[in-house]
Amino acid sequence: MLYELITSNTHNNNTALYKCYNANKVFYRKAAFSHWGNKVIENENKGYEWFYKDSEYLAEIRFMKKYFYELEIPEFNGRKFPSESVISGNEESIEKIIAFYKDRWSTENDFTVHGDMALCNFIIDKNNIKLVDWEHFHYSDKEFFGYDIINMLFIFIYHESKRTFSLNKRNRDFLKKCYIQLAEGVANSNKILEKPFQNAKDYLLTFKDRFLVNTNIYNKFVLAGSPLSVLEHFDSIVTK
Amino acid sequence: MKPKSDFINLSSAVGLGLIGFNEKNIVVDYGCIFFDSFVYASRLCKKVVGIIPSSERLNTLQKRLVEEDVKNCDLVNANYNEQHFNEVFDCVIINSFLEQLIIEIKRDKTIFFDSKIRDKKRYSGPEKIRIGFFKTICKGLRPGGTLYLSYANKLRIRTLLLFIKLAIKSFFTAISLKEAPSFISLLNAIYLFSYYLLSQEGLEKLLRTNGFVDIEKYAVFPDLKYPLKIIPLSKLDEFSFEPVQYLYRGRCFRRICAGARRRIDIIIFNKLKLFSLSPSFIITARKAS
Repeated sequence: MLYELITSNTHNNNTALYKCYNANKVFYRKAAFSHWGNKVIENENKGYEWFYKDSEYLAEIRFMKKYFYELEIPEFNGRKFPSESVISGNEESIEKIIAFYKDRWSTENDFTVHGDMALCNFIIDKNNIKLVDWEHFHYSDKEFFGYDIINMLFIFIYHESKRTFSLNKRNRDFLKKCYIQLAEGVANSNKILEKPFQNAKDYLLTFKDRFLVNTNIYNKFVLAGSPLSVLEHFDSIVTK
Repeated sequence: MKPKSDFINLSSAVGLGLIGFNEKNIVVDYGCIFFDSFVYASRLCKKVVGIIPSSERLNTLQKRLVEEDVKNCDLVNANYNEQHFNEVFDCVIINSFLEQLIIEIKRDKTIFFDSKIRDKKRYSGPEKIRIGFFKTICKGLRPGGTLYLSYANKLRIRTLLLFIKLAIKSFFTAISLKEAPSFISLLNAIYLFSYYLLSQEGLEKLLRTNGFVDIEKYAVFPDLKYPLKIIPLSKLDEFSFEPVQYLYRGRCFRRICAGARRRIDIIIFNKLKLFSLSPSFIITARKAS
């Protein structure tokens, strides 16, 4: 067996992600290096169990409770995206993800939040969308439907504008289109979509313990550290 | 309430994740250079034996083990060659303890830098290039057992320091005869460096002749103390190298340095693929059954 260490202790999560090359297959192994890391891995496993509960992949996801917990995840086939992906060039994938989110998340009885939904955590092929990195997974109220997508759109804004939060008209129009697609048919009681970016930040800060973050939340999520004026600006762009 | 030690983060021991310990393993750590690695191995294995030649380090490690409530270990205050264990080990850890090997190599450089030797007849057989250190390791390891060896690329640092020293000197002073020794030492360093690059295969050969198989070599970034990226050198064609994020918070100058280092890494490792210049290496090998 051959290993590659992909990440270690990212945002002080006390875990490491290895890519493992066996004779006939490639898979990922996430291992804990403390009891906090055990909590993270256990939580991530819950996320995988929830997402892949009706899928053939569930059998390939192995959770091992040693002194330090480990999680084995198969290598999913499909298109992968870099961590600093921007809007331009990914419009089709983003629309596909929003449609997928609406379909999957609105039909569940137990509403959940992925917590770190970003394009780099999706693997997309013709027939399927797979989602990885469930560290921040948690159950929540259905009224917070849309949080994950709004968080993802804000990450796009951050990278597209190169941290200046200034977007061209084409991208602004696309954001609005995404918002309309997400908000269509959603109940009035929803607590995110009226002022999506401000409300998403409020949700993140109010329920930060649910996200199982072992570092300053402002360092981990760009949405948490963004000024109110920026959020108001983008709220007005998408809701106008 | 859980004791504080239960929440200590042992992420600096990520290199040992390449081994895949199990709860039946008995492990020996030569030198016990990294305490986190020792504790990590003790958490996952049946027993860990630590050999520490330094009494001072032994006392420090003992204190740490008491703090962390580690009981499944034995510590031996001795040199590697003074030990005769009754146990046979499943894994041998040599974390940055190659200095011991280097002392032996210094006695006969041709052993290590064998690829530079023109006259192959100087070896009468594989027995010639067995080194005491590896002999001891191999003897204590069960057939099929694993060797974990990590070492810093020290010659790289030495050469770099010499270059910098010389560049600064030549910037401030005119070249004169006084600088001649510096030039000679620089040339010497370059010469040694070329030996070193060639000797990468030499170390593998040394392991093979000592009865090790399935030898895998990994490049480690940014250092052995806190590895953030470990890349198998036999799989270089399968991925593109992404440099690690050097986290220098605070001062602007430090951030600029981190950015510059990142760019240099992209050129050296992503574009030129000069992984011989990696800051550190890990070698894993298995004793032939």
